[in-house]
Amino acid sequence: MNGNRKAVYIAGIGIISPLGCGLDATELALRKNNSVIAPLNVFTTKQSPALPVGQIREIPGISSLPRTHQLGIVAAKQAMEGYALAPDAVIIGTTTGGILTTEGLLASGEKNSEKYSRHGLTTVAEEIAQQVGCSGQALTVSTACSSGTVAISMALKMLQSGQAEWVLAGGTDSLCRLTYFGFHSLQLVDPEGSKPFDVNRKGMSVAEGAALLLLTTEKPQHPLGRILGSGLSCDAHHPAAPHPEGKGAASAMLKALNNSRLEPADIDYINLHGTGTPDNDLAESKAVRSVFHNSLPVSSIKGATGHGLAASGAIESAIAAICLQKDFLPANTGCREPDPDCKVSPVLQPENQPVAAVLSNSFGFGGNNACLVISKTDCSHVHVSGNRNAPLTILGKACMTGVGHTKESMAAFLGKETMAGILDLKTVSDKLPARKVRRLKRFSRIALALAAAAHEDSGREQAPHSVFMGSGWGALSETYDFLDKLQKSNEQFPSPIDFVGSVHNSAAGQIAIMHKATGANITSSGGDYSFEQALLAADSFLEMDADKESASAFVLAADEGHPQFSPLFDPSIEPATPLADGGGGFYLCKKAMPGKLSVRLCHYEEQTDTSPESLIAALGGKDTLQLNCGTILAGIPAAWSSVGEEYLKNFTKASGLDIPIIHYRKFTGEFASASAVAAVMAVYLLETGEVNPDKKILVLGFGKNVTAMEFACQ
Amino acid sequence: MDDLTEKLKIKLIEILNLSDVTPEEIDANAQLVGGDLGIDSIDVLEMVVMVEKDYGVVINNKEIGEKVFSTLAALADYIRKNSPNLSS
Repeated sequence: MNGNRKAVYIAGIGIISPLGCGLDATELALRKNNSVIAPLNVFTTKQSPALPVGQIREIPGISSLPRTHQLGIVAAKQAMEGYALAPDAVIIGTTTGGILTTEGLLASGEKNSEKYSRHGLTTVAEEIAQQVGCSGQALTVSTACSSGTVAISMALKMLQSGQAEWVLAGGTDSLCRLTYFGFHSLQLVDPEGSKPFDVNRKGMSVAEGAALLLLTTEKPQHPLGRILGSGLSCDAHHPAAPHPEGKGAASAMLKALNNSRLEPADIDYINLHGTGTPDNDLAESKAVRSVFHNSLPVSSIKGATGHGLAASGAIESAIAAICLQKDFLPANTGCREPDPDCKVSPVLQPENQPVAAVLSNSFGFGGNNACLVISKTDCSHVHVSGNRNAPLTILGKACMTGVGHTKESMAAFLGKETMAGILDLKTVSDKLPARKVRRLKRFSRIALALAAAAHEDSGREQAPHSVFMGSGWGALSETYDFLDKLQKSNEQFPSPIDFVGSVHNSAAGQIAIMHKATGANITSSGGDYSFEQALLAADSFLEMDADKESASAFVLAADEGHPQFSPLFDPSIEPATPLADGGGGFYLCKKAMPGKLSVRLCHYEEQTDTSPESLIAALGGKDTLQLNCGTILAGIPAAWSSVGEEYLKNFTKASGLDIPIIHYRKFTGEFASASAVAAVMAVYLLETGEVNPDKKILVLGFGKNVTAMEFACQ
Repeated sequence: MDDLTEKLKIKLIEILNLSDVTPEEIDANAQLVGGDLGIDSIDVLEMVVMVEKDYGVVINNKEIGEKVFSTLAALADYIRKNSPNLSS
């Protein structure tokens, strides 16, 4: 079922960065070509002298929200200016969430979990959605420094396929101790401030900021540009260093061109990732040279702003729009003597010259590469695309719970016994190569074990091409240990290993390395709906090559139970709640295979009241439900028990369904990725004939959001 | 084998979580980075932290770092020559 792929316009832009607030201030600063990188003063450190960073002097408005949220809201309001509508979805790339606030609370010994309620990455997207009146999907991607670009890529797919008409997407990150000391511990910070592509460059400058793009398929009166295409790839090479030849980066650039139906010669300017680290700039220039001719104007703005991490790709997309609007090329601020080894020609002074199409590069930890092509509005192309929201075929499954791997977990489930608990780390890792996982802590080990088991269960030699990972809370052990060591050593000895492991996408990066998965690699973080968000991302990005063997992916979700952090962060875990963790997921492909089981995400919406009409409609209506549906697995997180139960009651009453309902959290225990285990439970029930395989199983989530996954035989 | 080298072997196993390796199995003169132990740049940085914390020796230069971490024996030598915490 192919259809026309819709054109996606930029209707509004919000930007706040160390360069200033708003497009005009940003353009003015870029034309001045001065670096605004200066010694840190956003928070105090015991380190002297403070390292140079890119920081925002003043955030408009007064707010008690964490800094990342505040920056995102400023950008969101600017982007929405002049539009009375509410976007259909909000997609935010972030790596820091509420961590700066959390760091202060932890240092003061705060034990009240309510104070930590904005720690989670998902709260940034939720807060922004609320501020702009969006009651649709509020999604979060966390792929380190490519997050903002990946968020815009996801919005692009959603809009092109007709799933939404208006999407607000971009990235936001604030400075915090984790990133400030973390990059320093990796010796990646230039003590003089970053000067990308300069022969004497010594590293990056950590920065902060936010940019959001209001994107639409309805041509606005004054469009600011078009997003033509995107390309994602994974190096599958190293957790923190780029592939030395820039192999993954080149692949993402080519995919973005291909996706935009452009040739390399059609690009007028590349906004480079250009962090200023010796390795990044060298690898990126090799990648650029392998795709483009040498004289193409290129520049990195990170010598002016610093590296805004998850925000950087969105900030640079906004700057790409300025380039197109004003026929202007920003300079590679800070570069005095271009590195002859790089063999690219950075723009050394701001220039005015015609620009019709810009390529914007973003790369991150975990070997995550994302590129966007942004063009003037009059660029016209007609494309076709595959169908979205079609069922994904399940080739292999795996789960892990407190009682063991898939086999032990399912045996407990069938025996009506609890699976809840914390599996000892030795059993978690018993099938993983000890040497390769020695640096990894609990979260990454659970995820790696799930990927290996799902691959094994598929019986296929070939591992999947892409990785879509969900996690409510990410690498809690590494985050805790990093901050703990930092504090205990009087801010002197943070651990580089813990910093690299602390990023949300560390597990997905490790899976890519272990399984040589060089396709798209996205980590989503949506609280109790992280698995559903990962499924949604897979659905968006697997569409392009539906018939190819490469259109296959791991779709997994995992969370670790952490004695200190879990009760503080997860509202469903009280201090007295026994800790539970684990996860689950599949080896999936887009190609339909008769006889195989499939999964489809039918519904994902914010829960605004307890009327079930939209859920019933999304599941095909009352009659279809009664005819096809055999079992329900319902997930109601403890923090949402009363409203969740009421919703479920209303749903069964209005749909007239009289079928078994299994409350799966009673088996799995309370943790954010429990729905991933439930998904595997559903497949297990159908495969083993424990339920009628001709009927569908629904895995429903009721709480902050209302979600539905449908499992059926094809 | 001297005391410092033996101590460094134990520290290496601990901070890099080389749980399947015993101190006796580590050859102090073997290539450290990219050798049999599978040690990479991130491990080196973790060792940099340990060397500064435990011996007061700062290594923040890539060129020096490459020499110092070429073998465990070279690391022990460098610490011995530069540590204010060790009486030579």
